[in-house]
Amino acid sequence: MSLNFDRSLEYLKMLIVVGVLVLIGQRFGYGIAIMPALPGMIIVILISFLALTIKDSFPNLKFPAFAWASLTALILSMPFMPTADLFLKYTNEVNFLGTTTPILAFAGISVGNKIEKLKKLSWKVFIVAIAVFIGTYFGSAIVAHIVLKLQGII
Amino acid sequence: MAKNKEKQKEPERGNDFNSFLKLFISVFIIVVATEIFGTKTFKIGPGQVVLLPMLFAVIIGMLITPDLLGSKIKALKKVISMQEVEKAGTYVMIALLPLGVKYGTLVGPNIVEVVKAGPAFLLQELGNLGTIFIALPLALLLGMKREAVGATASIAREPTLGVIGEKYGISSPEGTGVLGTYLMGTVFGTIFFGLLGGYAAATGLHPLALAMASGMGSGSMMAAASGALAEAVPAMKDEILAYAATSNMLTGVTGLYSVIFLGLPLVNFLYDKLSPILSKKDRGDQ
Repeated sequence: MSLNFDRSLEYLKMLIVVGVLVLIGQRFGYGIAIMPALPGMIIVILISFLALTIKDSFPNLKFPAFAWASLTALILSMPFMPTADLFLKYTNEVNFLGTTTPILAFAGISVGNKIEKLKKLSWKVFIVAIAVFIGTYFGSAIVAHIVLKLQGII
Repeated sequence: MAKNKEKQKEPERGNDFNSFLKLFISVFIIVVATEIFGTKTFKIGPGQVVLLPMLFAVIIGMLITPDLLGSKIKALKKVISMQEVEKAGTYVMIALLPLGVKYGTLVGPNIVEVVKAGPAFLLQELGNLGTIFIALPLALLLGMKREAVGATASIAREPTLGVIGEKYGISSPEGTGVLGTYLMGTVFGTIFFGLLGGYAAATGLHPLALAMASGMGSGSMMAAASGALAEAVPAMKDEILAYAATSNMLTGVTGLYSVIFLGLPLVNFLYDKLSPILSKKDRGDQ
């Protein structure tokens, strides 16, 4: 157990900052008014906070906070769960694509300290990495396609 | 003593808040601008290219950093310095969580279908290893040595970086290789998968299979690939996102072990078989 009040507070502050960015972004991008989306965003922030707390509590599991967040929301929204209707009603006001834009804006800025390192890499690494991306993606897509077909799902 | 410490901390705090404010306002402007600009789709040949706001956001974010536009425009460097860049890194991890929650809400209602597709989910994780057969020979043909082992063992997200760093040392040739693919993925991964995700629908592979494949790497790679695919095949939007999220969760569980027990042994085995044939110049120097 390595729970720490200061760190928790810091997490919460950062989550609220992100929440504000998402609420404003989706207001402009998808026309979702801020006030009706607020309860959903509070729920999303609380689950995210829970995910961080679980991750810090069990560092040996090596399961990322992102996956804990998905898993918690997954359980709360399963059809036979009593929480599903209400939970989905509120979180539906938080747009899926709306949550992605702030992430990528931060991600873009965060690679700023890697540009110099990247320039030092040889062009070969560039080509090999593209081959790795394509191979991983289509390798798994082809296997998935075949198995889904064999199972009669598609 | 305690008071002294506090005094020393104060200017640092103020500076910290300024730095936060600069980062926040920059991201705020990027988000609002790209969301107003919206999603752009256009056809190229048989496929559809989907440009989501997140794609513009990552490109603008990158451009305003100190080593790119910042090195030309002094005023910009004052706003986004390396301090803000470091801070942005911590925010990425936090900003991913609401997306994680949203993915969970997409999987939950579809949980019965997802469980039915369980065998496909498990087996497609092995499909990730397919990359070794393509990328390793290519790396050897290009003249890479042991770097190739690190570079092609997997898509090189943090778990792989950790495994290879521990096994060979991060400054070993293998470590250099894995760092290369890692860096490329971090910088170009979302852009690449954002473009590929929408276009892949034209390959004839089923959208659900492509959705599963979207879950192979980091959370933001998955978001880019599945988001673009969902826009390209809007009729299956929710299922696509649910399948992608499940696959990503599964990779979160299996990824590390798959590299240790399958990826690395396989890439080393193939390296031993292929390097005498493909990299002729240095035959026998091992």
